[in-house]
Amino acid sequence: MRHDFLDRYSRIDSPVHRLPAAIKLLAALAAVLATVAAPPSMPWLMAPTAIFLLAAAAVSRLPWRFLAVRMLTLEPLVCGVAAMALFQPGGWRLMLILVAKCSLCLFAVVLLSNTTAFSDLLRVLKAVRVPGLLVTTMALAYRYLFVLVDEAQRMKRARLSRTFVSGRAGAWRAAATVIGQLFARATERAERIYAAMCARGWR
Amino acid sequence: MHIPDGFLDVKTAATAAVVSAAAVGVALRQARLRLGPRSVPLMGLAAAFVFAAQMLNFPVAGGTSGHMVGSVLTAVLLGPSAAVIVISTVLIVQAMVFADGGVMALGANIFNMALIGAVGGWAVYRLVCRVFSGLRGQVLAAAFAAWCAIVAGAVACAAELAISATVQWRIVLPAMAGVHMLIGFGEALMTALILASIAKVRRDLLDRQTASASASYRELAVYGLLISLGLAVFASPLASKWPDGLDRAAQTLGFEGKALAEPVVASPVPDYRMPGVGSPAVATSIAGGAGTVAAFGLAWGLARALVPRKRPAFTETPAAG
Amino acid sequence: MTTSTSARFSPDGVPTPALEVRDLHFRYADGQGAHAPQVGRADHAEALRGVSFSIADGEAVALIGPNGAGKSTLLLHLNGLLPEARGERCCVYVQGKAVAPENLREIRRQVGLLFQDPNDQLFCPTVFEDVAFGPEQLGLSPAEVRARVAESLSVVGLAGFEQRAPHHLSVGQKRRVCLAGVLACKPSILVLDEPTSNLDPRTRREVRRLLGGIAITKLIATHDLEFAVQLCPRVIVLDQGVIVAQGPTPELLADEDLMLRHGLERPHILDHVLLDGQWGHPRRPVGKSR
Repeated sequence: MRHDFLDRYSRIDSPVHRLPAAIKLLAALAAVLATVAAPPSMPWLMAPTAIFLLAAAAVSRLPWRFLAVRMLTLEPLVCGVAAMALFQPGGWRLMLILVAKCSLCLFAVVLLSNTTAFSDLLRVLKAVRVPGLLVTTMALAYRYLFVLVDEAQRMKRARLSRTFVSGRAGAWRAAATVIGQLFARATERAERIYAAMCARGWR
Repeated sequence: MHIPDGFLDVKTAATAAVVSAAAVGVALRQARLRLGPRSVPLMGLAAAFVFAAQMLNFPVAGGTSGHMVGSVLTAVLLGPSAAVIVISTVLIVQAMVFADGGVMALGANIFNMALIGAVGGWAVYRLVCRVFSGLRGQVLAAAFAAWCAIVAGAVACAAELAISATVQWRIVLPAMAGVHMLIGFGEALMTALILASIAKVRRDLLDRQTASASASYRELAVYGLLISLGLAVFASPLASKWPDGLDRAAQTLGFEGKALAEPVVASPVPDYRMPGVGSPAVATSIAGGAGTVAAFGLAWGLARALVPRKRPAFTETPAAG
Repeated sequence: MTTSTSARFSPDGVPTPALEVRDLHFRYADGQGAHAPQVGRADHAEALRGVSFSIADGEAVALIGPNGAGKSTLLLHLNGLLPEARGERCCVYVQGKAVAPENLREIRRQVGLLFQDPNDQLFCPTVFEDVAFGPEQLGLSPAEVRARVAESLSVVGLAGFEQRAPHHLSVGQKRRVCLAGVLACKPSILVLDEPTSNLDPRTRREVRRLLGGIAITKLIATHDLEFAVQLCPRVIVLDQGVIVAQGPTPELLADEDLMLRHGLERPHILDHVLLDGQWGHPRRPVGKSR
């Protein structure tokens, strides 16, 4: 399953993985805050954060290649937006600082998500009194997004198997039909899940 | 339109976070009241649906492909409060698991896409529905609302970037608004196609939410208040002239000698005048107006094309799936 | 693991059936019913037309019938998920108690319902949380919950799977987790909807072994006639919302006419009757004449 790669490393063993989720979440948020708060006039303030994150990455035993790939797939957007900074005095420098800031924050989150199981993060959120309805919605969303993505893929393939004329209009129509069907199926599945929850005593 | 971390400064991110948190709180209460216990799995699945829908690409010009955002689609199908929760959930999961959009920028992203996008878009939808009735009216309204939501969200995003002194307003507004006007057309088209497709198979899903419209004006008022609050804080002259805490520290300690930093740290919206008042501003307004008219026209054309004039009377509910 | 199903007795000494259904009628409402199977049926047709049967403590009964017969609809009545609108006269009795809004919680604890698609039932982020869902809803202490989860997972052979995420499991493992989740509530009746659909033969054998090893009243809706023969001494045949036959499994399923008339067929395993009357691993080689 191609979407497996997201979770692949969240359950390997390392000192970082073994840390409680709350600490990792706090550390990530602190790293992001520290990076964002560093004013453009003093970019070297980001250095300690960078060193900390790199050290954490090393201890976490996450494969460097994997991390690099994750970062690279997320960079284009960053560079695109940062390119707008070019059109002003001192643009190059600002753009580089922006890219550095972004990348550092990205790195913090990539580390967090790959060393912590999502369910652990949710538990932390619940502990800090994030409303239960929101946490449950996130848990269900996470649980079923893979299921729905698979369904969408199957529908798309089925459709493609019977599509002999390719064209942009056709592709749009096909995507729209698949999405429409997906919604109908999602609501039906929600009903079944509701029944399953009630069947096990949910109030 | 997901703003990554590092583009917004602390004060903008914090303000947006507070406003968005309040809005999500309101939405949670409303959704529970309106939809009952069934809402829990429904919203979870709807969030998963939005995820999956966003992963479906369709070809755009020249070999690139785009995907839809789906905030107005969600609002039309589930109501504004549920849509706020669903979109917020999607954004949070995207930020925390996929690193798509920043964690600190979550407040701003939720403000742009869930509040302005879903709620604002829904308001436009209902307004247009009052004028144009029937399924055609719904498709037209939804398509136009989708375009508006994308553009409005982009403008808000531009404002946030400018207030954070990341990019200058006179650069970022045309860039963001311009690009998103085009993206908006795609979103309008997809929203119309999807709604028409759902209407053909499960008409009840479309009508389910419309029935409970009247009770939502108070909801809308609360959201409107929150959106206005957010915009007011963002746009207030105070916010833009207020340097970051660290910067102030830098100033007092005499570190900020870099002349290069000056044009960015200073207010991007000087004296609360739109910079470039004169032909560029007029040009922008004309462009905006033209875009809006074009979007409406597109929405109209879609509604006509996708919804047949005479609908056969349904004697039995069509089987789905 | 055995669950204590102490048979109850009515005042006149007749054992109370574990499950009893009396003249159950059901019609799906206008539009889409909540659990309406999305088969093209016209509205207002009655899905169940006067279904009556009873199951004694410890019995294993198979419920068979063609698609659209109303099997799933019937199962949903057994723990009160249907009918959605209350106020209709009650027709389902679990351990002698009528299924009514007041005692739904207890009924749902007693009747462990396993749905057809394990994905619908496995809705928590980890296996542990999912199996713990039922006990937690019952208000048990965290220690007790942990004990129940460990016990249930070991019964289904998935000890150590606590921290796994559901989307990493195979279909067979998912089904077993669902079973564990239901067993953790210590039900007195297991109701299963197509437990062997989409399973490869090996997993099917495992499920059969597992279910056979749990001494508990069972009602199993299934298309897998071989499975029904091997596990359930009694069978109920449902077609178009009516029970057309019920009785000992080998007899009914051997009646080719009856089977074909109701969209089924005579399973080949009946050719492999064992001499000691035990169903299970066939001793006669395949292909031997009847």
